[in-house]
Amino acid sequence: MAESKDIITMEGIHKSFPGVQALEDVDFTLKTGEIHALVGENGAGKSTLIKIMTGVERPNRGKIVLDGKEVFIRSPEHAQDLGISTVYQEVNLCPNLTVAENILIGREPMKWGGIDWKTMNARARQILQGLDIDLDVTQTLGLCSVAIQQMAAIARALEISSARILILDEPTSSLTTHETEQLFGVMRKLKSEGMGIIFITHFINQVYEVADRITVLRNGKLVGTYNTAALPRLELIAKMIGRSLTEFDEMIKIKLESSKLIKGESLLQARGLGRIGAIEPFDLDLHAGEVVGLAGLLGSGRTEIAGLLFGIDKPDTGSMSMDGKAVNDYSPIGSIGRGVALCPEDRKDAGIVGELTVRENIILAMQASLGWFKHLSYQEQYEIAEKYIQLLNIATPSADQPLKNLSGGNQQKVILARWLATNPRLLIMDEPTRGIDVGTKAEIQKLVLSLAEEGKSCVFISSELDEVLRTSHRIVVMRDRKKVAEFSGEVAENKVMHAIAGSLS
Amino acid sequence: MMQSFGTFVSRNRRLLPVSATIILFFIAYAVGAVYLPGMRDTQVFLNLFNQSPYLLVAVIGETLVVISGGIDLSVGGIVALTSTASAALLRIGWSPWAVMLLMLALGTAMGAIMGYFITYLKVQPFIATLTGMWVGRGLAYTISNESIAIYDPIYVLLQRTKILIPGLSDVVTQKGAYITPSVAVAMIVFVVAIYMAHYTRFGRTIYSLGGNSGANEQSARLMGLPVNRTKVLVYTFNGFCSALAGIFLSIYTRSGQGLLGNTMELTVIAAVVIGGTTLAGGEGYVFGALFGVLITILIQTMIQIQGTLITWWTLITVGLITLFFIGLQSIIANLKIGQATGATISRAKRNQQVLLYGGGAVVVVVLAVFAFYILKGGSSSTKSSACQLKPFRQDQAVSLMKGGAVIAYERNGGANCIDELYGIYPDGRIVGDNGTQKIEKQVTPQQVETLLSFISNLGWFTDNMYTASHVPCGVCYTYFTSVAYKGQAKTISCVDGGTDCPSEYWLMTGQFSTILPKFAPAP
Amino acid sequence: MRQSRSSFDWRKITESKLFFPITALALILLFDLIIIPNFFRITFQQGHLYGNLIDILRNSTPVIALAIGMTLVIATGGVDLSVGAIMAIVSSVAALLMNPFVLGTQLQAIKNDPTYSYSPFWVVLLLPLIVATICGLWNGLLVTYGKIQPMVATLILMISGRGIAQLITNSQKIQIFYGPFVYIGNGWLLLPFSLYIVAFLCALAWLVTRRTSIGLFVESVGINARSSLFSGIDEKKVKLFAYMFCGFCAGIAGLIGTSNISTSDATSMGLNLELDAILAVVIGGTLLGGGGRFSLLASVIGALVMQAVTTSMYAIGVSANSILAVKGVVVILLILLYSQQVQDFIRKITGQTRMKETQS
Repeated sequence: MAESKDIITMEGIHKSFPGVQALEDVDFTLKTGEIHALVGENGAGKSTLIKIMTGVERPNRGKIVLDGKEVFIRSPEHAQDLGISTVYQEVNLCPNLTVAENILIGREPMKWGGIDWKTMNARARQILQGLDIDLDVTQTLGLCSVAIQQMAAIARALEISSARILILDEPTSSLTTHETEQLFGVMRKLKSEGMGIIFITHFINQVYEVADRITVLRNGKLVGTYNTAALPRLELIAKMIGRSLTEFDEMIKIKLESSKLIKGESLLQARGLGRIGAIEPFDLDLHAGEVVGLAGLLGSGRTEIAGLLFGIDKPDTGSMSMDGKAVNDYSPIGSIGRGVALCPEDRKDAGIVGELTVRENIILAMQASLGWFKHLSYQEQYEIAEKYIQLLNIATPSADQPLKNLSGGNQQKVILARWLATNPRLLIMDEPTRGIDVGTKAEIQKLVLSLAEEGKSCVFISSELDEVLRTSHRIVVMRDRKKVAEFSGEVAENKVMHAIAGSLS
Repeated sequence: MMQSFGTFVSRNRRLLPVSATIILFFIAYAVGAVYLPGMRDTQVFLNLFNQSPYLLVAVIGETLVVISGGIDLSVGGIVALTSTASAALLRIGWSPWAVMLLMLALGTAMGAIMGYFITYLKVQPFIATLTGMWVGRGLAYTISNESIAIYDPIYVLLQRTKILIPGLSDVVTQKGAYITPSVAVAMIVFVVAIYMAHYTRFGRTIYSLGGNSGANEQSARLMGLPVNRTKVLVYTFNGFCSALAGIFLSIYTRSGQGLLGNTMELTVIAAVVIGGTTLAGGEGYVFGALFGVLITILIQTMIQIQGTLITWWTLITVGLITLFFIGLQSIIANLKIGQATGATISRAKRNQQVLLYGGGAVVVVVLAVFAFYILKGGSSSTKSSACQLKPFRQDQAVSLMKGGAVIAYERNGGANCIDELYGIYPDGRIVGDNGTQKIEKQVTPQQVETLLSFISNLGWFTDNMYTASHVPCGVCYTYFTSVAYKGQAKTISCVDGGTDCPSEYWLMTGQFSTILPKFAPAP
Repeated sequence: MRQSRSSFDWRKITESKLFFPITALALILLFDLIIIPNFFRITFQQGHLYGNLIDILRNSTPVIALAIGMTLVIATGGVDLSVGAIMAIVSSVAALLMNPFVLGTQLQAIKNDPTYSYSPFWVVLLLPLIVATICGLWNGLLVTYGKIQPMVATLILMISGRGIAQLITNSQKIQIFYGPFVYIGNGWLLLPFSLYIVAFLCALAWLVTRRTSIGLFVESVGINARSSLFSGIDEKKVKLFAYMFCGFCAGIAGLIGTSNISTSDATSMGLNLELDAILAVVIGGTLLGGGGRFSLLASVIGALVMQAVTTSMYAIGVSANSILAVKGVVVILLILLYSQQVQDFIRKITGQTRMKETQS
């Protein structure tokens, strides 16, 4: 095997956006002929690092060295010219064209002034066979499975430039086991030809199956780069989400004191609630004055549970009842009427209404529950908004600022305020501290505990295990879309990690 | 076997809308031929082509624009402008070839300008092309308010020439099935467009731009395709096609007028949709454009031949058919989504599909009922006993003309054996007599004047309009029309359903039907 | 938190929703003031005010009515191309209600009698409006439950609507003599009566959208439908309302238009007016295809701008034939004013910075 050397080295990368430090002093190196996994929970900085490598963003500080020479990657086209190709999770091809066309469009073989379809199809077939893939290239891409679409994207990426670096961003999320194996086969073949592959994924098993080295990011900082063989699974997970030494440990004391107050009446009961393809049937009991934390890795089904509890999705099996009465109306407005609120994970597409003001965003759900005709006057809206701006310490020049002008952390607070304003009995929060500065994180965690003290029931979902441990009276662990364990809040961190990691560790 | 048929259909799903159009066309034609004997003549089929070259090229251009994910509303405006400008330039003596070249250049330039606005100034296509239409039509009106007749010999030649179809006609007597030169040119454009769409990089880039809710354009850019250049070019090409359509139309009507092509945008877009191209972009075949046009013209023809329906039924029917095709496309799009993700379809999605399928089926049934109703109305001759043909009212017509009428128009025959005689006076008064009723209507003198000049521009008083009457067939009508204008008077009679009458005659009767009052149906 | 480098007053004005449409109107009126003598002269004749400005107000009333309804639809992210056709349908229904015998042959007896109407006046007003609202409902159903793109869905009624209108009147143009109806478009109470109707409609629209939560929901759905869903807003109901309201406004426009010419003319009633209405809304600043924040007042001003251009052109002496072309050019200029490049340029001048997207 040829001597492996560094293709690309990134040193001391800093990147910040208004209000958020996305990357802080991160180093990264990729060698030839290796599959290098990049892991970390959402908000860790993976996508930002990749965007810098592919020229979509430029670092505030730091150096990039390619083949021994320093480079400034100006744009995606420039990155492509340098040999860096990317295949994103949402395949950036044209689903209405055929597979062959997608691979070769823009450089189709021509004959007598027109496109030579026969040669093009043959060439496309040839390229795919080079990846050990055999399929009908005249199929419309949109009708093909995601696996094939990805293969086509990879094929195009390789065909276009003399790619030396191939970045695969969450390629296996929509693949079956068999298709994943096929993809790995392709990756190994390319690796043997000297390609450097960056493999971003949240599936830990897959990391161990195919990666040579692993780089772990967390909260914008580099945790470390390790050889896969030398890093046990449990340790990896600990590095990704494990406890970090912070000064919030006194909060544990607060929680332990307030935990005496729990075990209020049962508020919600879910029995065998499930949704095909999203979450296996589960049972869940929620009580007033109690914080239940949902722990688990990305993709384990936590958001799907939240969706069912709030009525965004309808279950295919099982039932749910509140206050002893069965729930039949699965809809957001129905849930709000029952006193359930969800602060969603996807702030941008499920929370923020950017052009509306802070005031309007805060009263939005409340107004929806009142209906079309019971309209809150400007004065009333203003008062409610002011109350929560004070309560949550929202930094905004006035309540009439468009929400899009606020920083991420404050936007999150506004969304939280929206749901608090509906005076819910059960508040579900999905990743409320993601992408937020440290100070705000602490505020929100404190807020969750105080809500429980007031007698509300809370469901707290977070990828940061220490947050979950800190704020929950009870912890439910999810893995692979299944509820796998339930612990009391005083459980040892180790036990939870085992449950998250699974049997093989 | 059902399995393999199912897989065949799903594999070639893209072809479904176009296939549906083609099948619908042939079914409609067959049904029409059964119920309306007038339609069985080969020439009627060919006349579908002869009447539509302008629409065909316009739809071809628009199809490409729509496939690229955009829309072009300026077609009618460019048609108006080019036809009026041609007529005006010809009137002051320009050479017809120079005029045509200039018009093509003009349309192309306008298309390019709009393309530039849309691509580089990021104006929405809807708005940019809308203002293009206004500017075009407005300039046409500026050049002239009324219709300008074209007498240029080359234009006349292009209008009158019949290219005989070998095998279906007799060269010696110069009679038989024919198409016009415009149609031949339109066909050439058609073939070129198909080649362009499927065998050039430009065409493939057009396909890559549309669809997927606009995400395709983004992807295409990331794939390194010349997105901006292609967008500008596709609008430029449509400008060219619109100008060509304007030229065809001015040849056909031998006039130029600002009103020409009014509401043409609607018909063009409807034909695009019926031709199987979805307005979301990314899908569609230029080939389908041909059939979209044919169906639209077929509907017009069928209604005209049937004779008793108001021409506005065309609009309603076209609207309904468009709805059907949109529904079809929507269903197919939803099927695709389910297929691609591979996920098992949840209950909700399934219900939605049932709703759409059901809705689509309802629309088809409604359409079928309408069609049946329409055609039943024209086929009463097959059911009831043959009625007695009424005598012609020629003496009455003559006395009308002597009494000051400028137009006397008699329609005799049809399925119900009617005999309607109208007299139109220069002060706007219209009288009607059908033997049992006398009716009256008042229009403005201007309208009469417009009508007269229109008829005159058709070449009424020239040798190009001639009598060709004979014993009418079962449900056919015999028409007598006397026109007195600017010192000239002429009477021409014709029978519909045949091929001998000059096509301008039907343009005239079409105009009549929008202005004449209607008799109450016989009890 | 946010930087505020330039002077406070400038930004308040330029950022206001009304800035562009008012500026556009001001520019045109300025042009009139300078170029056209006596443009602003208002006299008192025949018991009412008279002058170019009054003409603008009077002729713009149908488009204003259309623009009010169209604003809501565009704010939800859609568009309604069928309003012109709805006007034609309303025209036919109203005329027929007043004089159904015109379909038969005994029309002589009823000619010219301003006190005659087959149906009571309130029916003549109410029934066409109901029909118009049902047309809006049809459009709305196609868009919400049929999941068809708004442009495509409303295209269907745009094509077949005129056919339906013709069908109703058997393709005749029906003349209207009934006094009270004629008064709608031709009467004067110092100012044109239709202006009062439109003002009332505007007030009604404002009440409905701002004194209930409907306006907020329309904006929310238009800006981010998914977030609105999570907040408990029913997107389908909101859109249905918007399209029905638009149909209702088209109905009012149709009644005014019909009364203006005292004829029911299905071929030309409202022809191309949908385009005027859409442009009025766009000039008013509501984003086409973007959806979101809307301002009824801005759309009304936009409609006035369109009409002011037309009236000014007439006053200069541009022939009727060239009006359309000039209108097109003016619109192009206005649209360019709205284009991103020009807006960025203006912002640079006034010292604002563009907000960069924050990473989540």
